[in-house]
Amino acid sequence: MLEALGLVKGYGPVNALDDFTLAARPGEIVGLVGHNGAGKTTFANIVSGLLRPDGGRVLVDGKAPGAARRLLGLAPQHIALYPTVTPRETLRLFGGLQGLRRRELGRAVTEIAEALRITDFLDRRVGVLSGGQQRRVQAAAAMVHRPALLLLDEPTAGVDPETRQSLLEVVRDHARTGAAVVYTTHYLPELTDLGASIAVARHGRVIARGEAGELLHGLPGEVRLTFDDEEMRVPTTDPAATLATMLVEATKPVRSVDLSRPTLDDLYRAVVRAH
Amino acid sequence: MRTDLPRRLALLVGHNTTLRLRDPGHLISYLVMPMVLMLVFSPLYRAALPRGGEAQAVIGMLVMFSVLSLSVVGTALLTERTWRTWNRMRVTPVSVVEMLIGKALPVFVLLVVQQTILIVFGAQVVDMPVAGSFALILSAVCVWSFALLAIGVALAGVVRSHGELAAVCDVGALTVSALGGALTPIAMMPAWAQAVAPASPGYWAVTMLKAAVAGEADAVARAALVLVAVGAVAGVLACIRIGRGLKELQG
Repeated sequence: MLEALGLVKGYGPVNALDDFTLAARPGEIVGLVGHNGAGKTTFANIVSGLLRPDGGRVLVDGKAPGAARRLLGLAPQHIALYPTVTPRETLRLFGGLQGLRRRELGRAVTEIAEALRITDFLDRRVGVLSGGQQRRVQAAAAMVHRPALLLLDEPTAGVDPETRQSLLEVVRDHARTGAAVVYTTHYLPELTDLGASIAVARHGRVIARGEAGELLHGLPGEVRLTFDDEEMRVPTTDPAATLATMLVEATKPVRSVDLSRPTLDDLYRAVVRAH
Repeated sequence: MRTDLPRRLALLVGHNTTLRLRDPGHLISYLVMPMVLMLVFSPLYRAALPRGGEAQAVIGMLVMFSVLSLSVVGTALLTERTWRTWNRMRVTPVSVVEMLIGKALPVFVLLVVQQTILIVFGAQVVDMPVAGSFALILSAVCVWSFALLAIGVALAGVVRSHGELAAVCDVGALTVSALGGALTPIAMMPAWAQAVAPASPGYWAVTMLKAAVAGEADAVARAALVLVAVGAVAGVLACIRIGRGLKELQG
């Protein structure tokens, strides 16, 4: 569904993207992570046709981004909504511009409003809504026409846990219908919840790409033993064997045992350290 | 996609009309203030000008406040940048031309309505004699609104903030209006001001609208030609500026 190959984009002397390559299949959620300035937003803007790359190519369902706008849904990093209209008017506008007709449009607005829990404030002006509510409206506007490629650029920044969960649920459902999703975030546990494949970006290129399980394989977890007077932490790639050895060698009573698997945070740190 | 064009345009026009009507402050003040000033100044103009004093009071205020309404045109475009909605719309199948038409049409209609109401008010309350036909007056109002719209869009393409827009509109509006004879009849202005007056679009607007009210179709046509030319030049400059801005945005 999305194929970006060798993208290059510079802003004066700064290389925002430098041979950035990423693909997403229908039904796949790609979690794109990286520090600020890694090129995530520039990539999203190129895929959505807002920016032209200096080099490389992007295809959305085999078409250039400009010709594939009907297939695209974008929730940008910053709120980009009309404050003087209501969420219902916003959804009707974006749904209508994407080609939805009367009854179909009404049904789509109701469905996405219910899914993202914006029904209660559907007829209040966007400008008076909280930041989290505006985030939900922005995500709904990106998804109301059920796009084949959904780009969500930090959609949960500054939202409460309940909102986050409802958004993740909707994104998962959307991918289940066959849409490709590129999900940019700094909250890595969200990607575990989404079951997303991972792409780690750094200095304008993707430095690690794969299923979370594959990438985490071989990364050390941790065994933690707590005694009365101290705590012992040992990083290990084989927690069970390490724990057994530690228990055999322990010379004082063990109060608690904790085995932790490597997380996406660990993966991110390891990948970034290696580059 | 092409067959969806009328639907998309209707959506955009409806949406932009809603945006304008939800933020009516400027329009209301530019409608109420000229009415008040017409009433206050009409005795003075009547005394100074035995013939056409009422027309001077009504058309002068109409032109000055319609030029001030340039800020409404500019704001309509500038807010899209500050709200970041311009880029958001570009990710839909809507083209930039469609977006501009969707923005311009409601503002154009509001400008026409504003000026029409002021002329009706002038005729009914200030007793301005009206000899011109409704069609002639409406044509003149439409031509002036077109010129204003084009100048406003060109301005919005140049300024970078609401503060800059307000400054340019206020200074520009008062200069264009004053030099154009909206405040003082041309014949009473100093010689140097009379010489430079035709350089002001306000001069041609005052001339055209006074002629329309008086029913002088030839004079309306001459002034309208100049204003259409001014509007066309401003429109071309606006297109060039917006095109360049889009290229800068795309990098």
